[in-house]
Amino acid sequence: MSDRSVVMIVDDDDSVRKAARRLIRSYGLAVDTFASANQFLASGRLKETACLVLDVHMPGMSGLELQSHLSASGVAIPIIFITAFANEAARAQALQGGAFGYLIKPFEEDDLLDCINRALHRANAADGEN
Amino acid sequence: MLSSLFQLLSVQNYIPHGVCLLWQPGLLWLHVLSDATIAIAYFTIPYALVYLISRREDLAFRGIFLLSGAFILACGTTHVMGVVTLWYPAYWLDGSIKVVTAVASIGTAYVIWQAMPLALALPSTSQLEKANGQLAFEIGERQRAENALREANADLEHRVAMRTAELEAEIAQRRRTEETLRASEERWRGMFEASAVGIALTDENRRFVAANEAFQNMLGYTDEELRSLGPVEVTHEDDRQATQAMIDHMMADRKAGYDVEKRYRRKDGSIMWVRVSTARPPGADSTLQGIPTIIEDITERKRAEDAMHDARDTLLRVARFSTMGELSASIAHEINQPLGAIVANGQACLRFLAGPNADIGEAREAVEEMVNDGRRASEVLRRIRTLVKNTAPERGPLDVNNAISEVLTITRQELQKHKVSVQTMLAPDLPIVHADRVQVQQVVLNLVMNGIEAMREIDNRPRVLLLKSEMSDNQHIAVSIEDSGVGFDPTQVGRLFDAFFTTKAEGMGMGLSICNSIVRAHGGRLSAAAGALSGAVFRFTLPAIEGAAS
Repeated sequence: MSDRSVVMIVDDDDSVRKAARRLIRSYGLAVDTFASANQFLASGRLKETACLVLDVHMPGMSGLELQSHLSASGVAIPIIFITAFANEAARAQALQGGAFGYLIKPFEEDDLLDCINRALHRANAADGEN
Repeated sequence: MLSSLFQLLSVQNYIPHGVCLLWQPGLLWLHVLSDATIAIAYFTIPYALVYLISRREDLAFRGIFLLSGAFILACGTTHVMGVVTLWYPAYWLDGSIKVVTAVASIGTAYVIWQAMPLALALPSTSQLEKANGQLAFEIGERQRAENALREANADLEHRVAMRTAELEAEIAQRRRTEETLRASEERWRGMFEASAVGIALTDENRRFVAANEAFQNMLGYTDEELRSLGPVEVTHEDDRQATQAMIDHMMADRKAGYDVEKRYRRKDGSIMWVRVSTARPPGADSTLQGIPTIIEDITERKRAEDAMHDARDTLLRVARFSTMGELSASIAHEINQPLGAIVANGQACLRFLAGPNADIGEAREAVEEMVNDGRRASEVLRRIRTLVKNTAPERGPLDVNNAISEVLTITRQELQKHKVSVQTMLAPDLPIVHADRVQVQQVVLNLVMNGIEAMREIDNRPRVLLLKSEMSDNQHIAVSIEDSGVGFDPTQVGRLFDAFFTTKAEGMGMGLSICNSIVRAHGGRLSAAAGALSGAVFRFTLPAIEGAAS
C-alpha cells in the first residue's frame, strides 16, 4: 500500500458528509472529512489522499474550483463529484477536468464503490509509475 | 111770543132806578162809570177766552172755558142793564138777563166743581218745569251715556279693525310659512320617494317608522311589513350584534353617526351587502323623531371586490409559484441532500450488519442518522408546501425572525450556488406581528431572490446579503434586506414598485409590485434606498401587535 490510502470527503453538508464517511468506511477504506475546500487544502494531507469525494456546490471555494486549483497546482488526485444538483454544464466541466465520476444524490452505492475503486486503482498505478 | 118780548121791554109804570139815587149826578156817574167799566172788562174776558181756545187746540177743559166765557158775558150784560135801568126801567129784561146769568153761573160752577178733581190732577207749571228739568237732565244724561257708548263703540270698532288687520297679517304670514313648509315638505318627500338609495327612519323602539320605495324594493318587504321590523331584524345574523351596539351607541348619544358596510337578509332569505350611513339630527330639540338612515346597495361592488381579491390572491400565488419554480433546483437540492445521506447511511448499515462480524454499533448510528435526515427532508418539504399551498390568505400571530429563517433554509442552496454569503442581524426580542405567514415569506423570498439577482454580475467584491430585523418605531417592526449588488438608478426609485417595471432581461416586473401590495395590505410600507457601500437596501415595516413583545 502506498501513502495515498485515505479517501477524503469535502462537503459542507454535515449529514451528507457523515453518511458518506460511514458508507466508505463500511467498504473497509480509510476515510476523512472536511467541511470546505479551504479546510482540505489547509490540512496538508494532499499526499495521503487516494481519492477525493467532492461536493460541487459549497460556500467559498466550490468543488469545481478546487478541481481547477489542484489541476493548476499540478496535483493529480482522482476526484469523484457528488452533487444534489442535476446540472449538465457542471457535469461536463467536471468530467472534462478529469473527474472519475459525477454522482447525483441519492446515488447508488455500486456507482460510488466502482468510482472509488477505479480512482484507487489509478492512484496506485500512478504511484507505481512514480 | 112777540107779546112776551114786548112785555119784557115794556116799562109799564115802573120808576127808573135813577130815582132811587135821587138823580144825583155824582152818584149816577159813579154807577154808570163803574158798571160800564165792569161790563167792558167783562166783555173782553170771553173774547180772550175764545182767542185762547182758538190758538191752543191742546188746551184741556175747553167746554168750561166756553161756559165761563158765556157766564162772564152774561155778567157783563147785567152791568150794562144796571146802567140802562138807571134811566129806562126794563126790569123784566134786567131780571131775565139775570136769570140767564144765574143759569150760566150755576152751570159753570157745576161744571167747574165737577172738573175739579181732573183740574187738580193737572200738573202745575212748576211741576211740569221740574219734570221738564228732570227730563232734560235725564235726556242730557242719556245723551252723555249715548255719547260715551258711541265713543266706546268707535274705540271698540277701531280696536277690532286693528286686531282684524293684525290677524289677517298673521294669517297671511302663517299661510306663507305653511306654503314654504309644504313646498319644503314636498321637496323632501319627492327626494325621499324618488331616491335610488334606500332611506329609512328608525324610532326609539328600534322600529322603522318610514321607509322609501327604494328601501322596500331592496329588502322585498312592503312598507307595512317594514313597520313591524327594525334595523336589527333585517340584518344578517352575523352582523346583528354589531348593529345592535351601533344603535345603542346612537340612542345613548355616545356617537353622532355611523358609516358601516354590512349585510342584510332579504325577505326571500338572500343576502345583500349594504353601506349604511346614519346620523342623529343635530340638537336634542330637533323635531325629527328617530334616526334617519341612508342605505346603499353595494352587493355588486362587494362582488367585484371579492373577485378582485380572489384575482389578487391568485396573482400572488402564481407569483409565488413562479419564484418557487426559479428555486426548484435549489429546493430539489435541499431534499436530495438528506435523501442522499439516508441512502448512503442505509447502504452502510446493511454492510455493517452483513456477515458474521456484524458491527451493530455502527449500524445503530447509521439508522439514527437516517431518522434525523428523514426528519430534515420532511421539514424542508413542509416549508415548501406552506409556500405553494393553495389556500386562502390567513393572518395570525407571526414571529418574523422565524419566517425569515425558514426562507433562508429554502434559499440556502440558491445563495450558495451564487456564492452569496448571508449575514443576519435578527433582533431577539421582536414583538409578534399579525400577518399572513406565507405572504410575508413571499416578500422576504422575493427580496432575497432580487438580492441574488443584483449580485450576479459582481466579481470584484464579496457578494453579501444582510438580513436585519428590528423595531422601526413603537408600533412597527422593520425587516431590511441589503445586497452588495449593482444597486438601482436613483431616478427610477419612484417606479421600482410599479407593475411591469423591470431592469432584468428576463423579469416580468411583478415581484416588487406584488411585495408592495402585500406589505401595504398588512398596514406596512415597503421602501428602497441605496446601500451603505454599494447595492440596495429594501426595507419593509409591519405593525406589531401591542404588548406582544417577546
